[in-house]
Amino acid sequence: MTDDHEHYEAVVVGAGPGGAAAAAALARQGVETLVLERGVDAGSKNVSGGLIYAEESAPYTIDSLFPDFREAASERPVDDYYIHNVSGRDVKTFDLGRIHRHDTDWCDAVLRRKMDSWLAERVHELTRETGGGLLTEVRVNGLLRENGEIVGVTCDELDPITADLIVAADGVNSELARDAGLMDWDEPDDWFQGVKAVVEMEPDAIADRFGIDDDEGAAHLFSGDLFEGVRGGGFLYTNEDSLSVGTVFHLDSLAAERAEPHELLDALLTHPLLDQWLQGEYEEREYAAKLVPDSKKVAHPSPHRGRLLLVGDAAGQMQAQGPIIKGMNHAVTAGGLAAEAYADAKTRGDPSAAGELYEAKLNEEGVMDQLRPARYRATRSVSESDLLGTIGDAVIRSPIGAAGLKAFDGAIERAFNSPFLLGMVPDTRFSYVTLPTRIGEVLGEPVTGDNDVEPPDLADRIGDLTYDVGEPHIELVDNSFEASGTAVTACPVSAVGFGGGCYREETVRTNGSEERLVSLDTQPCVECGTCAIVADTEWEHPAGGKGVEYEQG
Amino acid sequence: MPTIDPTDHEIADLGPEVNGIDDVEELEAMLALEADGEDRGPVRTLIESRIEKLRAADEEEDADPGDVDLAELTIADVANMVRDVDDAAVLRGLLEREREGKDRSGAITQIENRIEAVEGSEGGDGEVEYVPPEEKYPDLDHPTADKQYVEGTSGETYRDMWVYCETQQGELIDVSKELLGKARELMDEYNGEEGYGGDEDGTPEEVIAVVIGDDVVDLAEEAIAYGADRVVYHEDERLERFRHKPYTELFAHMCRDFDVDWRDYHEPRYTVFPATNNGRDLSALVQGELDSGLASDCSDLYIDEAMISNPAKTGIPGDSVAFDRVLHMPRPDFSGFEYSTILCIDKPHRDFHPQGASVIPGAFDLPDPDPDREGELVEHDLELPDEWFQIEIVDHDRLEGGVDLTGHDVVVALGRGIGTDPTKGIELGLELVDAFDDAAFGLSRGVITASYQFGGHVADYVSEERQIGESGQVVEPAVYIAAGISGAVQHKVGMDESDTIIAINDDPDADIRGFSDYFIEGDLFEVLPRLTAAVESGNLAAVAAEASDD
Repeated sequence: MTDDHEHYEAVVVGAGPGGAAAAAALARQGVETLVLERGVDAGSKNVSGGLIYAEESAPYTIDSLFPDFREAASERPVDDYYIHNVSGRDVKTFDLGRIHRHDTDWCDAVLRRKMDSWLAERVHELTRETGGGLLTEVRVNGLLRENGEIVGVTCDELDPITADLIVAADGVNSELARDAGLMDWDEPDDWFQGVKAVVEMEPDAIADRFGIDDDEGAAHLFSGDLFEGVRGGGFLYTNEDSLSVGTVFHLDSLAAERAEPHELLDALLTHPLLDQWLQGEYEEREYAAKLVPDSKKVAHPSPHRGRLLLVGDAAGQMQAQGPIIKGMNHAVTAGGLAAEAYADAKTRGDPSAAGELYEAKLNEEGVMDQLRPARYRATRSVSESDLLGTIGDAVIRSPIGAAGLKAFDGAIERAFNSPFLLGMVPDTRFSYVTLPTRIGEVLGEPVTGDNDVEPPDLADRIGDLTYDVGEPHIELVDNSFEASGTAVTACPVSAVGFGGGCYREETVRTNGSEERLVSLDTQPCVECGTCAIVADTEWEHPAGGKGVEYEQG
Repeated sequence: MPTIDPTDHEIADLGPEVNGIDDVEELEAMLALEADGEDRGPVRTLIESRIEKLRAADEEEDADPGDVDLAELTIADVANMVRDVDDAAVLRGLLEREREGKDRSGAITQIENRIEAVEGSEGGDGEVEYVPPEEKYPDLDHPTADKQYVEGTSGETYRDMWVYCETQQGELIDVSKELLGKARELMDEYNGEEGYGGDEDGTPEEVIAVVIGDDVVDLAEEAIAYGADRVVYHEDERLERFRHKPYTELFAHMCRDFDVDWRDYHEPRYTVFPATNNGRDLSALVQGELDSGLASDCSDLYIDEAMISNPAKTGIPGDSVAFDRVLHMPRPDFSGFEYSTILCIDKPHRDFHPQGASVIPGAFDLPDPDPDREGELVEHDLELPDEWFQIEIVDHDRLEGGVDLTGHDVVVALGRGIGTDPTKGIELGLELVDAFDDAAFGLSRGVITASYQFGGHVADYVSEERQIGESGQVVEPAVYIAAGISGAVQHKVGMDESDTIIAINDDPDADIRGFSDYFIEGDLFEVLPRLTAAVESGNLAAVAAEASDD
């Protein structure tokens, strides 16, 4: 019976920007709201590349829900936005300021531990007023059902809790979305994987090397032949006294190429182009990794079931359109709309209509169109076919193609800055690798300077992370190399020949026969979820407060 | 014309708007507009329910307690209404009508309470009339009737802070020491000039430790070193393990009935217990037996005065009274959402002493013992009746810590270097262990979590209880031999306090080289047998000569 359980009007699972936005908006409507967060602190499980946008057209922005956000919780405003097309040492830089500023009220670099823990304090203050609050170190592990209907959540640490509204803002590896059958973990091409290093740098050095003031920031993107042909790119953002440098790749490409994510990150960090900023100094504060949903493919068109509403990464609401990556702003909007939908539904005397209203609002506010552009859907089948990629490759590599690039130098930069054209960018090797490489090759100038920084090896990167190791939270279902071997390379804290990682390849001899197996140690796990997709596992999050604890995020 | 024309709005927008309107006529006008327009059902319902709500509120407000029809009101309505009535005559009228009407005991209580409040405050002498519960509720069967201490304990004397010191495996557990340290600190302050300068007569009050068990006199002495002024202990072989009845009876007897010259008071002023499994049981039973309350699972303690205005405690409605020497007992509520501070305060006709708490282990710092501290050991002497031991402990088990790798001269540890032939690797490691007089066998986490297939005769050695490192055991032997271990930081923290570290690895760049005293570059399958032979022959020097001395 429902009467046996503790009841809140709304339960929000996860205290990232989506959960915080939903909780704050619910609390302001007087809805009794309980927020459950599995980290020791909000933000301790959260990683992002590092830019949060406030869009002019958005119904909710983080600072509209949390005044003082920019002063208290973010790093630097980012006005300058460049992309570097790299071919060997040749680099052609385009200014992407126009597309970056398109519909942008402001955009700040952030570090998630600081940002999310600040948000969580505000959320606790707001939700307490309603008779709820925010609890950390509580892992929600599934949905509570009664007669087949979702009525609440179950947790590792607490008794089940019932609620009239359940907001799943539990991130890219949302266990609730999967429990409800709304998302799955099947296709690597639905996902990106990002790894990031937070690199120490004094504010004076940042000002000097980037040519910016203390209250200014810069963003640089990198594409071309830096990454062994793996589809994806790199980024560098300035924080107050550090840089966020990272790489993001299509997981299917990463898996197919058997690429080591940490090595691709190192390829960027040690490229001569970065010498102008690093200047031989390199002190890594934190290595982190995260899976990123490709909203073009997985943004759920109907992210709700019964009382359950999905928000942010949990609903695949992460927009990656060529060089523009927007996730947190959409999570905030979705959180606000989810709260609004519930309040509306309640006013009409039918709280169970919240899901339908939420879906309608996502469409009305144009969120869905940003996440899943119709133009992308219309052109994808043609532009992502191998044949077209091959023709594109051939043309662009030919002297005629080179002449074309030269003739249209300015036009290419303009094309990159067009939101309309970006909506059609196909996810092929051609657009991520071949075209930028060719641009760098034909139009670029060689960079001078030698970058001799030495990023730490994987063992040291893992050694520097903070863990509270609990029970193993991932079970390797099939330990044959065929089924799960890809995890040895694709897992950001594993590598071929490295015994200290999560996934290790082993050759076992029994009675004269040899077998290639994979073994798993979840101690160094950073909970990104990569292995859930590329290997055969039973994947869960660790219990509340257990596992990795990011200090930067 | 209403300010809002509903036909101009979507349903979703209308909710907050409509709920903001307090004028019934305006709402009726809106309803008419909607009826002439689209006439949407949900909009009508929305407006109508608002009208209904406002009318209901009006009626409630208009109710005159002088002639209201009580049958129309719920008990909650009655409670709300009487709160505003100050005229006792009106209230008596209400009471009479309720009794003649529905005669609901809840409503009657509400009205009576209000009468009491109204008249009490005008009553003059300010005292709450005390009626013993037996007289007040003569029809009730009194479960407390056989407790001689329930009544008549007003104005007694109470002194000292009593600390229950729980033992396990013949030792004081840490929380017992933490409590003694805290009690010492609290009573030093209490007896000091900043505090109360001792009891009401200026005599210092003491920390009394209680130790119960079999052969515990040494532990009683230890309790003095941790801060007790006096330790009352009781030894009996039947008390080796915790049992509810005898432990409760003993504690209560010691602090309430024990006839010794220094215990010249009724009961302790304060009692503190560890909030362990047994401590929670005992604290509840003892405090029940002593007829007081208990704040369980406290996370802090301090003694301070408290201003109390509850007439049940002060005996004088409306006035605040200062209670001093009050033990403040903060404890987490609602999974740590909030903290409540619990106070245990006497009533005018009934004392609530001792003020008792159980305290979460680790809440206070573990104090350093002072072996020179002086105190008095008091052996408690009481014949323990057999009926206290009706519950018999037939079996007990202590969860084993598993393999203890600490406290050995040598530890031999193997890592993933054994991967090419794991069974052979374990065999070689065990042979080296046997060659030493006192060596233990450890493993890196990498081996334990591997998918290696081990031969049956060595498989038992591969388990988590042999793991060395961050999530395993921490060892610091005289000699640590690491074979095939790369030396990740998670392993390092488990062994780098060892006196001499000898590493065997075929990778000269392995991290472990950086914190080894001797590094042998080579295949462990070749090096281990030679090392074993050298140890057995007593000629280690030959092997050591080949090792690079980093």
